Amino acid sequence: MGGGENMSLAVETEKLVKVYGNGKTMVKALDGIDMKVPKASVFGLFGPNGSGKTTLISILVGLLLPTSGSAKVLGFDVTRESVEIRRRVGLLPEGFGFYDHMTALENLVFLATLDGVPSSQREKRALEALEAVGLKDRADAKVSTFSRGMKQRLGVAQSLLKDPELLIFDEPTVGIDPEGAAEFRNLVRKMNRDGKTILLSTHLLYEVGMICTHAAIIREGRLLVQGSVDELYRSVREAKGFRYEIRVKPGSDMPLQEIRSIPSVIEIAQSDNRVTVLSKNDIGSILFSLVTKNPYKDIVESLTPVEPSWEEIYRFYQEGG
Amino acid sequence: MGRDISVLPGGGMRMLKNALSIARKEFADAVTSKRLWLIAGIFLLFSIASTYSTSFGFRIGARQTTRPMVQIASSIASATAYMAPLLGIALAFDAISGERERGTLRILLSRPIYREDVINGKIMSALAVTGLTITISSLAAVSVSILLHNISVTVDDVSRIGLFILFSVVFSFAYYALSLFVSTFSSKSSHSLVISVGIWIFFAFILSIMSSFIATAILGPPPTRALTLFNMSRRQFGNFTTPGGATPQELEEYLNYVRKVSEISGTIQAFSINYHYTQITSSLFSFVAGPLGFGRGEITIASIPTILSTRLIDIIILIVFPIVFLVASYMVFTRRQEK
Repeated sequence: MGGGENMSLAVETEKLVKVYGNGKTMVKALDGIDMKVPKASVFGLFGPNGSGKTTLISILVGLLLPTSGSAKVLGFDVTRESVEIRRRVGLLPEGFGFYDHMTALENLVFLATLDGVPSSQREKRALEALEAVGLKDRADAKVSTFSRGMKQRLGVAQSLLKDPELLIFDEPTVGIDPEGAAEFRNLVRKMNRDGKTILLSTHLLYEVGMICTHAAIIREGRLLVQGSVDELYRSVREAKGFRYEIRVKPGSDMPLQEIRSIPSVIEIAQSDNRVTVLSKNDIGSILFSLVTKNPYKDIVESLTPVEPSWEEIYRFYQEGG
Repeated sequence: MGRDISVLPGGGMRMLKNALSIARKEFADAVTSKRLWLIAGIFLLFSIASTYSTSFGFRIGARQTTRPMVQIASSIASATAYMAPLLGIALAFDAISGERERGTLRILLSRPIYREDVINGKIMSALAVTGLTITISSLAAVSVSILLHNISVTVDDVSRIGLFILFSVVFSFAYYALSLFVSTFSSKSSHSLVISVGIWIFFAFILSIMSSFIATAILGPPPTRALTLFNMSRRQFGNFTTPGGATPQELEEYLNYVRKVSEISGTIQAFSINYHYTQITSSLFSFVAGPLGFGRGEITIASIPTILSTRLIDIIILIVFPIVFLVASYMVFTRRQEK
C-alpha cells in the first residue's frame, strides 16, 4: 500500500539504474539517480538531449521498469503500484499524439473514461480542462485541424483530467512558439499556486530559471546537482563569487574607493552608468548601507545582486561543482 | 520485477470496464473507417457476384443440383477464403504500431490502466467487426439468391451457413491475431502491413505452388504415357473419368502418382491456416473436388455431425492458430517497455 514514508516528497528515487540492451549494445541510461521532488514545488529536471530525462520520467509513471534501485511517487512504488501512480499523476509525455479524426472534446472524454472519471462528470471535466488551456472554443474541432501549439495545450489539458496531485511534463515547450511557451509557463505557475506539484523536464536552461522553484541537472544518466533554485544560485555564488550591479545616474561619477576597501571584494568593473562588483562573500548589506548614505545616495539609482545565469550554473556543475 | 499489485478485489471488473471503453472507441473508429468500408464493400460484391452467377446458373438450367443453397454457399466460401484474411489484416496491421506511430500509445499508457486492457479492447472490437462484416456479407449474398432466383432454404442449409459464418469469423480472426502479433513488435505500420500481407500471400498462393513443386521433386515426373493419355482424354471428353484409350494398368499407375502428389502437397499445405479453413468449408458444402477435378459434379452431402467429427483436426487447428498468436501478442506487448 502506498502512503509513503516521507510525506513531504512527491517523488523520491534511490540509486535508480536503467540499462538498455545487453552485451556490446548495452547503454546505461540512468546511473544511480537519487532524486527528491518536494511537494508543491515546480521542479525542473534539466539536461541535454539523451541525458536520461525521458527514461527517468517513464520509470516514474511505470512505463519502464528500472534495472535496479527504487522509486516512489506520491508514496507508491513504481514497480508494484504503477496503476495507483497513474491514477494520481497527470503526464504529458514527449512525442505524444491524439486521435486526429476525433474532436478535442471526444479525445478528452475518452481519456477521462480511462482515467476513471465518473460518466456524469466526464464532459464537464473535459471542458474545464480545455478552458484551463484556452481551448474551450475549439472543443468541437477535430484535432487534425489543430496547430502544434494547440496540440501541446491539448496535451496539457489531458493531463489535468483526473485532477492530479502531481503533473509531469516531458519537454513541454518543444516546438511551440514563444507566445505559447509563455502561456504554458503562466499555466504552470497557476497550477502550482493551486497546490499542485509539477515536475518538468527540459533542455532549455532559461525555462528552469523562469518557472522552477527547485531544479536538478542530469547528465549522462547521473544527477549532477539538485535543490531549490535559491540553493543552486547560492552554491554557485559561494564558489564563483557574489556579483552586484550598481546603477548610477547618467553623467555621474561614481567614487569607488570605499567599495574597494571592503576586504572580500575581488573585482570592480565600471562601464557607462553601471558598476559591477564581484565579492568572495555576500556583501549585499554592506553595499546597501554604503549606497544609502552620502556621497552615493544622490547618484545611485539601484543596487541589485546579480544571480548567476543558468548557463553558468550548468557549466559550474558540469565541471564538477 | 514485481507485478503491479493494484489488481485488488474488483480489479477484474475495472479491467473489463477499461477494455470495454477501448473496445467501444475502436469499434466506432472501425465502422467509420474508409478502409473497412472498402474491404467490406469488395467482400460483399465478391460474395453477391459469385452467388448470383451460381444461382443464375440454376435458373437458366446450366447447373443442376438437389441442394442449390449448398452450392450457392460454397461460392460464398470461395470469396470468403480470400477476403476474410484481408479483413483480419486490415483491422490489425496498425492496431498497436499505429498507436505507437501517432504517439497515442503514450497517452493511453499514461492512464491508470493495464497494457492488457489496450489489447483486450482491440480484440473485442475486432471480433465484433469481423463477426458483423462476415455475417452481413454472407447473409446479404444468400438473400440475393433467395430473392432474385427463388432458391429454397432448408433448416440444414441454415445450420451449414451458420457454421460457415462461425468458422469464417474464426479464420478472419486468425489473420487478425497474426497481424496483431506483427503489429506489437513493429515500430512502423507499413512494415507490419507488408509482413502480414506477405504471410497471407505465402499461405494462400505460394505454399500451394511450392507444395506441388516439392511433391514433383520428390516423386519425379509423372508417367509419360499416362499423362499424355490423360491430357488427350481431358481435351476429348472434358474430364478424366473417360480414360481415352488408357489401359487400366496405365490409369492405375497415373492415379497412384496423382494420389501421392496430393498427399505430399496436402501435408505441406497443412502448415497453412487457409488449407484447414478450406477443408472445413469444402466439407460443409460438399465442395470436395478430387485431384485435378475428379468427382466434379458429384455432390455427397455428409451430415453436420459427421463433418464436425471428420474435420475435427482442422477445426482445432483453426481455433488454436489465433490463440497462439494472441498469446504471443500479449507476451510481446505487455513485456515491451514503451519509453
